[in-house]
Amino acid sequence: MNQLTLIPVLPFIGFLINGLLGARLPKQLVALVACGLPAVSFLLSFNLFQGLASEGGSLDVVLFSWAALDNLKLDVALSFDQLSAVMCLVVTGVGTLIHIYSVGYMAEDKSFVRFFAYLNLFLFFMLLLVLGKNLLVLFAGWEGVGLASYLLIGFWFEDAEKTAAGIKAFVVNRIGDTAFLLAAFLLVYCCGTLDFQEINTSFSAGGLSPTMTNAIALLLLLGACGKSAQLPLHVWLPDAMAGPTPVSALIHAATMVTAGVYLLSRLSGVFLQAPEIMTVVAWGGAITALVGASMGLVQSNLKKVLAYSTMSQIGYMFMACGLGAFNVAMFHLTTHAFFKACLFLGAGSVIHALHGEEDMRKMGALAKKIPLTFITFMLASLALCGIPPFAGFFSKDEILWSAWSGIGGSPVLWAVATLTAGLTAFYMFRAIFMTFFGADNVPERLRKGIHEAPPTMAVILVVLALASVVAGFIGLPGLWRDWLGVSAPFYDFLVPVLGHGGGADHHMELILMLVSVTIAFTGVAMAWLLYLRCPEMPLRVRMKATAAYRLINDGYYFDAFYTKVVRCADWVSEKILARHVETTIDTLTTNLPADLAQRASKLFTRLQSGNVSAYVFYVFAGLALFLWWGVIHV
Amino acid sequence: MIEILIGFFGVLAVLCAVLVLVLRQPMRSSLALVGLMINLAAIYACLGAHVVAVFQVLIYVGAVMVFMVYTIMLLDERDKSYQQPFSKLLIPGLVAAALCTAALGCLVAGMETTTARAIDAGLFGFNRFSKVFMQNYWFHFELATVLLLVGILAAWTALKEARDEQG
Amino acid sequence: MDRYVLLVGLSGLLFSVGLLGIVIRRNLLVVMMCLEIMLNAVVLSFVTFASQNQNVSGAAMSFFIYVAASCEIALAMAIVVLLVKRRGSLDLSVHQVLKG
Repeated sequence: MNQLTLIPVLPFIGFLINGLLGARLPKQLVALVACGLPAVSFLLSFNLFQGLASEGGSLDVVLFSWAALDNLKLDVALSFDQLSAVMCLVVTGVGTLIHIYSVGYMAEDKSFVRFFAYLNLFLFFMLLLVLGKNLLVLFAGWEGVGLASYLLIGFWFEDAEKTAAGIKAFVVNRIGDTAFLLAAFLLVYCCGTLDFQEINTSFSAGGLSPTMTNAIALLLLLGACGKSAQLPLHVWLPDAMAGPTPVSALIHAATMVTAGVYLLSRLSGVFLQAPEIMTVVAWGGAITALVGASMGLVQSNLKKVLAYSTMSQIGYMFMACGLGAFNVAMFHLTTHAFFKACLFLGAGSVIHALHGEEDMRKMGALAKKIPLTFITFMLASLALCGIPPFAGFFSKDEILWSAWSGIGGSPVLWAVATLTAGLTAFYMFRAIFMTFFGADNVPERLRKGIHEAPPTMAVILVVLALASVVAGFIGLPGLWRDWLGVSAPFYDFLVPVLGHGGGADHHMELILMLVSVTIAFTGVAMAWLLYLRCPEMPLRVRMKATAAYRLINDGYYFDAFYTKVVRCADWVSEKILARHVETTIDTLTTNLPADLAQRASKLFTRLQSGNVSAYVFYVFAGLALFLWWGVIHV
Repeated sequence: MIEILIGFFGVLAVLCAVLVLVLRQPMRSSLALVGLMINLAAIYACLGAHVVAVFQVLIYVGAVMVFMVYTIMLLDERDKSYQQPFSKLLIPGLVAAALCTAALGCLVAGMETTTARAIDAGLFGFNRFSKVFMQNYWFHFELATVLLLVGILAAWTALKEARDEQG
Repeated sequence: MDRYVLLVGLSGLLFSVGLLGIVIRRNLLVVMMCLEIMLNAVVLSFVTFASQNQNVSGAAMSFFIYVAASCEIALAMAIVVLLVKRRGSLDLSVHQVLKG
């Protein structure tokens, strides 16, 4: 069992131990197993990463052959190349930190053990997803994380609403999965293989019809949209905030929702051959980013703001993929994992301090009462808004530059993305001002119990905040690289898999950078204006723009539309399929043959009458015929 | 001469067999059966197989038919089979019988005829027959006695079971 | 017509008559008697061939058939008596239990 196989297997063992025996073990042991095994996975990934960084060859392990048909060979195989390495480190690193945080957060929950079992299960599947060598293993991980997500969203299953949220997540994911499966079938049909390297090479060699390439790319995009909560399959992400906060941090911020980005980067060979779909990806990502940011403006639930923020940021990543800048998307994925996890965990700390209160209108003036949470939250928000020199600035800036100058990029795209950045800054600082500053709207009964996060939670917040601050420096954009004379280790590392970045018009880049920073500061200033300086302004704005407000508040009527679709399907199923189609099929395939068999058997029962004379008569008649046959043939 | 005798007894045999089928009361059918057997014994005698003829009369008529007559006398109840002696399959049975007989007739007609030879009673005389029989079939003879023993035991057991069941 | 051919034909005819009797008669005892007709027909054919070929084995076989017949009649009558005691009638249709 070599190191690579151990990386996903260790969390699985954690799941088995906690899941099967956890009820009988002391809590400390459960926590130790649950946090320790992912930590070991992280160390192993780091070890392999170092080996990869120094030598450069990717590591492959074939576990067993799942199916060996004449023209298709499917193995369960893991592969550790540069792209997997990045994802693996992010997943295990941030995952371990969140596990440790959960020890403090879920300490008083009655299903402590079940939570950690599910978290480990999730890690196992996520690692399968990123380490898979072919679409088969990736899909196994893909489905598995969907399952884990469902289990964890509906963790407090006694509440019907939370279960419904879990089901919604699973069903919408399923729609994406169907598209994914269709893409996989088409890939088998065209290329005869599901292995990533083979697919990428066969696509870059060309020769496939454009329709087929476009179809495959579009279906893969749909699958990715389902998992990453992009338009039009984004409706599950806000509802998914019904789960515990560490779940939102791990699954719906840092790892699972980024699986779509990973998929796009993995099969970059396919997408690069389908330029029209690349445009769709880029514009889809940009529009999702804008829509997500706009919806974040009107939320009063702290976690939902962060959910829409996630949707928006992943829109950025998709946009980068659509512009051919896959390595930039991966970099933004990494930095986003750090600051978004920090934000969610900080929100968790706030909720923990307020004993479950999530509504921002009932918070306020908490900065002095929970200073550590406030500082880490602020640092992470600055990173998210793209304020230099925090991590988000470098990655977001590179994306904006690709929007202007990349393949299929245009000034319009850049403008949309920059507007979104402004909105991002606005709603994040709105959240900060409503939660940590301003009037103290905390209900009386909760005021006394406000306490800072316990050490397990606080340490993690600090670690992640630090990461949000400094992580940017490993992936400096081209402009900075040339100014400072350093290289970007992150991009260099990914060159073997994702190729080199775009060209450099440093002059333009500098101008765009300054513009985006200005817009970010403008967003902050507007938020300060509307929420601290003149608190009555938001209400007046809402009065003036009721239609727009209602549109955004109802989620651009996506949910209403989907409900209508489901109702329609329900009607068809009941009135047409159940009453007519099913009864006809039942009659034809079941009732009729059974009837026939019964009548035939009734005919045959007459042969066995119990009448001895009849039996002898049959012998007699047979004998006569036999003799006649003899006569005729002799 | 022999042929005429054989033909005469053959016709009588067939007549008796048909009577067995047709007569209503089982007692009369059994008498017809006895007649059949005696006619067959006559045929055997005409063929020169005196041993077999004697066996036929002694064993078959003398033991088997007597036993059957005892049973008929024991179970003589006037039940439904007296009013309706024939089952539902009368017509189909007759048809099948006709077919069968016709087929057999065709087959038999195709047999080769051998030249008629004088009847030699020597081989089937008691003296010679017994000697040859005991020389060649002594073991089979002993097995036959075992068969008879088993038969007696079986009959006795069956009746004993029945008596136990009743009482 | 050869006498042996005639006798073989007679044997076949008697056999058919016996088999017919089993099919058409309803009385159990008469059915047993038709069984005996068949046995007799077989003996006749054996003796015919023995006489034709001057072979002792035919007559020996007929001896053993007589042994078997006696054995059989003893057992058969025992069973018939038991059957009639159980069902109360000699009619074959009374002994039919299946409803087919």
